[in-house]
Amino acid sequence: MTVLGREDDPAHFYFPRGFHPDAQFVYNIGMDETALIIEAQHGNLDAFNSLVLTYQDALFNTALRILSDEDLAADATQEAFLSAFRALNSYRGGSFKAWLLRTVTNACYDELRRRKRRPTTPLEPETEEGEEMESPRWLADPSASPEEQVDQADLEHAIQHCLDALPTDFKTVVVMADLQGLDYDEVAQAVRVPLGTIKSRLARARLRLRECLQGFAELLPAAFRLEKERGA
Amino acid sequence: MKKISFRDVENLSAYLDGQTSQAERTRLETRLKSEPELAGILEDLREARQILRRTPKRRAPRNFTLTPRMAGLKPPIPRIVPALSWASAVAMLVFAGILGPNLLGRFSFGAASPMMSAAYGGGVGGGPPAAEGPYPETPVSDSSMELTPTPELMMMTLPEATAAPESRMIQPEETAAKASPDFNTWLILLPGVAAVLVGAALVLRWNSIRQFRQKSNIK
Repeated sequence: MTVLGREDDPAHFYFPRGFHPDAQFVYNIGMDETALIIEAQHGNLDAFNSLVLTYQDALFNTALRILSDEDLAADATQEAFLSAFRALNSYRGGSFKAWLLRTVTNACYDELRRRKRRPTTPLEPETEEGEEMESPRWLADPSASPEEQVDQADLEHAIQHCLDALPTDFKTVVVMADLQGLDYDEVAQAVRVPLGTIKSRLARARLRLRECLQGFAELLPAAFRLEKERGA
Repeated sequence: MKKISFRDVENLSAYLDGQTSQAERTRLETRLKSEPELAGILEDLREARQILRRTPKRRAPRNFTLTPRMAGLKPPIPRIVPALSWASAVAMLVFAGILGPNLLGRFSFGAASPMMSAAYGGGVGGGPPAAEGPYPETPVSDSSMELTPTPELMMMTLPEATAAPESRMIQPEETAAKASPDFNTWLILLPGVAAVLVGAALVLRWNSIRQFRQKSNIK
């Protein structure tokens, strides 16, 4: 990828610095994240979009685990990036991932509050036979065998079911710590609660999840056995 | 055996994540060796964390990158546009500055100034032309009043009235004809220059808006 907007580009004379009508993500992905953030804070949309490409999977997965709905998770993710761009000047350092996860958490909470005010029955896509449609192909791990894909799907359903049984505050903490790999300080930064509260919520959430998953382990031994073998 | 409190469970969870102090870690490890129930809870926490960490990670269903329109960015103004706008404004001001006095000068010939009338020989207020020839002598009614011209008196005699140059009303068209040809040139040139500058600024601005909208519609 080339970098445009420099003095040797004739369009630089005609357009403000950092904007080029033909530029789409022209910044090198290998560019330092800090430099990208600074450029984005100066209004450089292409630099911000480079950051979007880096973190969109993490934000989408977080939203998906909190909301348990793909469409709502996509909406929340888009809303989160929009809010992040507008509020980028409020970022003062620290973990940028945690800062972004906070925006998506807020977007998820807004959706949950909306859902609480106007409860709706989600429309699950169904086949002609009335059975729930399988997850789309693009969601599946292309490197896994068919049996592994089935096991992965079963495991994912089990985990999501147990996550949905948790209170939202507990669910958010465990998603950030155990699914996104944030440390306690980053989770505290993202959720804006004290460190002691993070420890407490995480411990409670893990115990509850363990009890819930124990039931699924008896029903889906293959899926859990597969995970145990991988984790060994 | 010491009773297990929820504080112990918290510490075990933090111990699992490496988030405890050295002193607390040592204390827990000592207890874990002697308390199987505590060890069982630690194992439960470890399994839960292990399963969660293996949750399949989905790829984003699409790119969530922002377009300029989504981000609320306005079409950029090419740098040269403000300069063109200023130049056109200056050109119009100069045009007005030249046209105004020019129009005032035309309208003032209907009530000609005394200086202008004298220069062209007309009477004040445009009166009838002066009569030609010497002024008629005043008739003397009494011969006793007749003066005998002396040399001094001859010298003091008013010179014959010179014939007034042929005077006539000056027509506005002649003023215009005699007006400096530079005025007419500027009156045409400046509005033209201003129109060209404004047109160039508008074209550049329109082009940048068009490109901005094209980019906004790209997904």
